[in-house]
Amino acid sequence: MIWLLLALHVIAIPAIALITNRFGRIGLLVGAIPTTFAATWAGFRLGSPVDEVSVQWVSSLDLSFTFLVGPVGRLMTLLVGGIGALVFIYAYGYFSDASKNVGRFGATLMAFATSMLGLVWADSVWTLFIFWEFTSITSFLLVGFKNTDPGTRNAARRALVITVSGGLALLAGLVVLVDATGSARLSEMSTLINDGAVLSPTSASVAAALIILAAATKSAQFPFHVWLPGAMAAPTPVSAYLHSATMVKAGVLLMALTSPLLGDAAWWKPLGLSFGAASMIWGAIGALRHHDAKLILAWGTVSQLGLLISLLSLGTAKATFAAISILFAHAIFKAALFMVVGEIDVRTGTRNINELRGLARSMPLAFAVAVASGASMAGVPPLLGFTAKEAAVEAVLTLSGGERLLVGVIIIGGSVLTVAYTLRFLLTVFGPFGGRNDAANGPMTDTEVAASRWAMTLPSALLGVTSVAGFIFLGLANQIVRPAAIQLDAKAEVYELLRWPGLTLGLGVSAGIVAGGAVVGVWSARRSSTIPRALGAEAIDIGLDEIISQARQFTSRVQHGSLPVYLVTTATVAALATTPFLWSIDVDTLRWWDRPMQGFLAVAVVGTAITTLLVNSRLGAALALGSVGIAVTGLFVVHGAPDLVLTQLLVETVVVVGFVIGLGHLKREFPPVGQIWMTIRIVVSGLVGLGIAGALAATAAAPSGQPPTAELTEGAVTEGGGNNIVNVVLTDLRALDTVGEVVVLAVVAIGVLSLAKSSRSDSEDAEGVGGDLLEGDPA
Amino acid sequence: MIATRSPIVRLGIRTATPLALMTAVFLFFAGHNRPGGGFAAGLLLGAVVSLRTVAGLQRPTNAARLLAIGVGIVSVVSLAPMVVGNVLLDQVIVKTSLPLLGTVKSGSAAVFDLGVTLIVVGLVVAVLEGLGATDLAQRPAETRPAGDTDANATPPSPTKAGPA
Repeated sequence: MIWLLLALHVIAIPAIALITNRFGRIGLLVGAIPTTFAATWAGFRLGSPVDEVSVQWVSSLDLSFTFLVGPVGRLMTLLVGGIGALVFIYAYGYFSDASKNVGRFGATLMAFATSMLGLVWADSVWTLFIFWEFTSITSFLLVGFKNTDPGTRNAARRALVITVSGGLALLAGLVVLVDATGSARLSEMSTLINDGAVLSPTSASVAAALIILAAATKSAQFPFHVWLPGAMAAPTPVSAYLHSATMVKAGVLLMALTSPLLGDAAWWKPLGLSFGAASMIWGAIGALRHHDAKLILAWGTVSQLGLLISLLSLGTAKATFAAISILFAHAIFKAALFMVVGEIDVRTGTRNINELRGLARSMPLAFAVAVASGASMAGVPPLLGFTAKEAAVEAVLTLSGGERLLVGVIIIGGSVLTVAYTLRFLLTVFGPFGGRNDAANGPMTDTEVAASRWAMTLPSALLGVTSVAGFIFLGLANQIVRPAAIQLDAKAEVYELLRWPGLTLGLGVSAGIVAGGAVVGVWSARRSSTIPRALGAEAIDIGLDEIISQARQFTSRVQHGSLPVYLVTTATVAALATTPFLWSIDVDTLRWWDRPMQGFLAVAVVGTAITTLLVNSRLGAALALGSVGIAVTGLFVVHGAPDLVLTQLLVETVVVVGFVIGLGHLKREFPPVGQIWMTIRIVVSGLVGLGIAGALAATAAAPSGQPPTAELTEGAVTEGGGNNIVNVVLTDLRALDTVGEVVVLAVVAIGVLSLAKSSRSDSEDAEGVGGDLLEGDPA
Repeated sequence: MIATRSPIVRLGIRTATPLALMTAVFLFFAGHNRPGGGFAAGLLLGAVVSLRTVAGLQRPTNAARLLAIGVGIVSVVSLAPMVVGNVLLDQVIVKTSLPLLGTVKSGSAAVFDLGVTLIVVGLVVAVLEGLGATDLAQRPAETRPAGDTDANATPPSPTKAGPA
């Protein structure tokens, strides 16, 4: 079933592109089919034993694709598949018939959904890593969807660089884990650890630090959060799916899955709590300062993810349970809120809370969804977010001593701010406090708001209803959340989501949070703030630009484009590499000739070579060079190597004719060369000649073992079915080498073609066909 | 082109072409038991192409197609044995008797060699294109007297020379 679902998703990628390009944006609805299947499957398998499949990939390295879908996997599948299906429907409404590249968008979004499923199902850490990186890449493509806008391109680049750097940390952390436990499977690792701790404290700490670092980049934790607000440049369906419900949860999921292994490591708690606490507070503050409704939600996501990371760092069963509950609730309400903002954007043409005002009247359904989801986010009953938030408050209260105080202040403070920014969002967009920039007062009228689109309203309404229904049918929510928490920490069995906790201290704290948040929220909604500069994002962009410009400068210095200097560089390296052989020549093995004829031919070779140097005309030099080759052919004849003779003759012919054609572009005579440059060239050429001759003499003097002639002769006739050993070796016995060689030839030919093409387009108005590069002194 | 005005060169190359082609075919098949083979045949064909370029005669110009077919043949012959469960590049030898030729023995190695030949020819054609053979062929002979040393007298034209 796992394979079938994955295959369905993969097939859907090109299908969406084809159908959308042919029939328009309706093709996006195709994306809802596999995602619905995935979510339904996960729903029906709730409470069943784990589903597991595996296929060997590289047996010699013990690499395999292994998927294991347990309770956590099912919870994530419900989110990825369920919200995915709604997002595809939403995207159908979001785009209009005039939108461009919708096919590309749908295919990329489907590719992301596939990668995300692979990620949440992965059991082999290598499978996990591969899909982790796939999500980074598809996210990059989706953020940069409007690729004609430089700001968007920068935002996409930032997201890619940060999340992929985190991917490297993840890879390192996984290597440490696999090395220490001896298994690449997450499910086996925990058993191995339970059987007898093999993970040394040092490697556990290192692995914990690396994995938390990876989680922090993916889940947009301070100070890596800078990519997430920028990622709001993506179309809203992407933000609702990737940047609230699924991909940013990957880091949280990673921490959750590794917490049974690394939860006791020394660095786990302090590092995780630092990231989580800083992000929770700074994210909430960001959400209170921005004016773009979408950015408010993005910063709110940073804050909520900080809460999740903090809870998972605590490591208590109650905190883990709370984290899983909030992860579930957050995906539902945040996706709904993003969808509402996207709808507002499409229908009013703005997302700025200073321009929006009183939308409650003209967009009542969106208003209802926003209130339900916002209240769920703030942790107000009767909503799913309330019970989840209660669990978090209880988790903090069960701590003791200084930890309780510290974590308590942070989480309660963050929650107060969460209530505040939620209220600010609702009051300005839908209530009376927005529209500061507009002269017009009162709510936006129907003339200012375009007609609603069912495909946008329906998904957000469904998600809004889910936030309410999750509270009403709390048993169902418990069936999803509890097994997942138990999978991570068996002690979480005693906990469940409560509809009404009773008049406990926890409820009092929650009431205090809501009350405090309401005060701050109303105050911040009335206050007009200035938009903060995105300093972190700017710093990253400057750094990246600097790296790129440095790389360009370095390249232009190394790849200067002067052919003579390239040749001299290559020759110098060859000379340096071969000179040492001069000392290992065994002089006793050297002899003048085997046959006198060779002496005569050697004189011919040297003579023609010297002629080549002395000839002043280019064509003459080319012909002289050809004579050198022909003279060498003579040596082959004397040695009795007809195949070599034939090949050498043909090569010389082709090369000389090629010279004739190529020289047509150049001046007849060689250009004058400066004294110093000429000296360098002569010295280097002399050294290369000496070095290579020496190396050949040295190798010939030290034969090792018997030549394989006999073996090859027999092999040629029996295996290759031919009497020409050379050719049988080329086409059969060593055919793989030949394949490599001809592929090299093909690559060279393609290189020549593209070089010729580019130099031709360069020289449309400039000089010649790159002829100047061959001339004279280096620049 | 360089020798377009010399009737002797043109006629010579024109006459030599069929002979050279026959020699190439001979070399290709001789390769099994005697000197020759796909590589040598490819070089000989390359020499023919080069000489025809010099004389401004018709010649293949689409290097990319030759390369694509060549690499395709080589890949198929290399991978095909794996599909039927043999090792990579395992070769099949067929022995039949044909009219006129008598007993013919050949194998998949010959097909493999054909790929090599095409790639070698493709490389030569690509290099000729890279050296600007098309531009040179395009240039009218009158504007390029024997003593002219300025290579850039006429701007290169993107239009194709002679049919492939």
